[in-house]
Amino acid sequence: MTAITFLLRRLSLSVFVFIGVLILTFFVSRVIPGNPAALYAGARPRPEQVEAIKVKLGLDKPLHEQFLVYVSDLLDGDLGESYHSRRSINTDLSIFLPATLELVIAAVFIALLVGIPIGVLAGAYPKSAFDYATRLVAIAGVSVPSFWLALIAQFIFFSSLGWLPLGGRISRDASLFYPIAAQTGFYLVDAAVSSNWDAFFDALHHLILPALVLSAYPLGVAIRMTQASMIEALAENYITSARAAGLSQRVILFKLALKNAIMPALTVVGLSFAYSITGAFLVETIFSWPGVGKYVTEAVLNVDFPVIIAVTLVVTVVYILVNLAVDLLQALLDPRVRLG
Amino acid sequence: MTPILTIENLQVEFSTPFGAVHAIRGIDFSLARGDILGLVGETGCGKSVTGRSIMRLLDENAKVSAGRILFDGMDLLQLTDTEMRRIRGNRIAMIFQDPATSLNPLFTIGEQIKDVLRAHRGSGRGGAKALAIELLADVGLPDPAQMMSVYPHQLSGGQQQRAMIALSLAAEPDVIIADEPTTALDVTIQAQILDLLRRLQRERSISVIFITHDLGIVAETCQQVVVLYAGRVAEKGAVETILARPQHPYTRGLLAALPRPGSRGNDLRVIRGNVPSGFERIVGCAFAPRCDYVMDICRAQNPAFSVIDSTHHSACHLHEMPANG
Repeated sequence: MTAITFLLRRLSLSVFVFIGVLILTFFVSRVIPGNPAALYAGARPRPEQVEAIKVKLGLDKPLHEQFLVYVSDLLDGDLGESYHSRRSINTDLSIFLPATLELVIAAVFIALLVGIPIGVLAGAYPKSAFDYATRLVAIAGVSVPSFWLALIAQFIFFSSLGWLPLGGRISRDASLFYPIAAQTGFYLVDAAVSSNWDAFFDALHHLILPALVLSAYPLGVAIRMTQASMIEALAENYITSARAAGLSQRVILFKLALKNAIMPALTVVGLSFAYSITGAFLVETIFSWPGVGKYVTEAVLNVDFPVIIAVTLVVTVVYILVNLAVDLLQALLDPRVRLG
Repeated sequence: MTPILTIENLQVEFSTPFGAVHAIRGIDFSLARGDILGLVGETGCGKSVTGRSIMRLLDENAKVSAGRILFDGMDLLQLTDTEMRRIRGNRIAMIFQDPATSLNPLFTIGEQIKDVLRAHRGSGRGGAKALAIELLADVGLPDPAQMMSVYPHQLSGGQQQRAMIALSLAAEPDVIIADEPTTALDVTIQAQILDLLRRLQRERSISVIFITHDLGIVAETCQQVVVLYAGRVAEKGAVETILARPQHPYTRGLLAALPRPGSRGNDLRVIRGNVPSGFERIVGCAFAPRCDYVMDICRAQNPAFSVIDSTHHSACHLHEMPANG
């Protein structure tokens, strides 16, 4: 089976997952107590106002009709409107989603680029001082709460050293003097495409601290997973035969063993990627990062169902795509894996 | 002519939670240039450990406690890790028992050969590829150019071992240590691989240490044979004399234990008793407890080698008895 047919098959199966999530979140949001119409109406509305809004939003109709309306809007690409802010969710997400994706992608890249080499060396020299040191780093990365890490990072790099900004995606000066022409919503990409290097480095400067803090968890996971699977791979016969062939330690570790050992780390970090889309809200809040985590947290506090459903669906899609990417990567790395 | 490889009083110990295991209790032999030397013995007699000691690829809990391994004027045990890496694959290569697990499953055959070439020959891209294809053709793999892009799991066991042999030949080594290279293969494939090894050895005048427990293979393949028992050499010499006139009681027992076409229906001959454990401290001859000809001196003193003739040595007190002849 070729990669294309595999992709098509997996995507068509994923449609069912998506529909399941859609049905579940939609009906759960309608069943749990709360009065969205009253929320929409604002502070202290009169009963007839609430009734009017109910009609306007279609909340007076039977549930299955409401669902059909929602689905037909969804098929048009319309995620609806926030009950709280009355803004279009599409517009909001076009701002918040790229911000979060930029942050999470940066964090995952840091985790993989730093964590995998560390895991390789820790696995190659077990029980060395380096191994024990990395265990400590990995356990700390996984177990230290991100909000605490964020505050400490701000204290060190902003308050004490003054190297990095406190928060936000870009400084006011940069946004005034070197405005980024929005295309993808990824500041780094948009700035680089338009050769707006002042804004690029300003945005990069803002990205470093939150990305580092957010990378702590996947970093710890990447180190541990790589270390464990490296120990396994290095005990294999093909490593003995590579040593007998006089290959260098660098080739043996980073080429021959790592290719066999990298998949578990990629899988787990991939899952943490999807999780971070909404899980990053503490980091986003502390660093005033206008992302999905912050957006959906506010929506939950305001019982803003259209937003909650919309974000759930977006995260579902990200999960599906990340899992697909991990499976494709596995097939790419291992010729014995049959796509199907 | 000086031998290409000489092993002197090699002793190897494994440290275990239960104490030291004496895997090799002092062995001496040498490999002549262009010879195939069979290293035979039962499981646990130290034949594989000897091979790995030469390559310095012993597990971490193993240590060479005494001895020298002389190769081309150097003591391999004294080399630095970097110097040793330049020997491995390049001067002394190794072929392993199980080709299915000894080839890396995630790299093509071509890539694995090119890795060896890059490590020792520094060949440019095109040169390495042409050389690799030539090697694959030489080991008798069909359609060698296409074999370059094939993964190990797409090959049969015999083809995998051919690829493994191509890999070991890549850097044109002087010595190949073949550690039971045919044990994992079907009998018909075994014969083909043995033929291939013999042909390549002859054409490239490589010296080979052939580790096996199969005396039949030794008879067909080797010029010299070293019989190991419990980490010591029992008997060594030219294959035809040892197989025709074994002197050591252990070698005689081994040969008598081989099933023969005429003995169908009769019980197989066995050597009574068991191999001593590596934990034991052996006083006297290691084979004494199982030997039919055991004498008092055998339990007290480890026998020295007696020269049977210039090419044949046997470590047994029987040879010192004037009556025995």
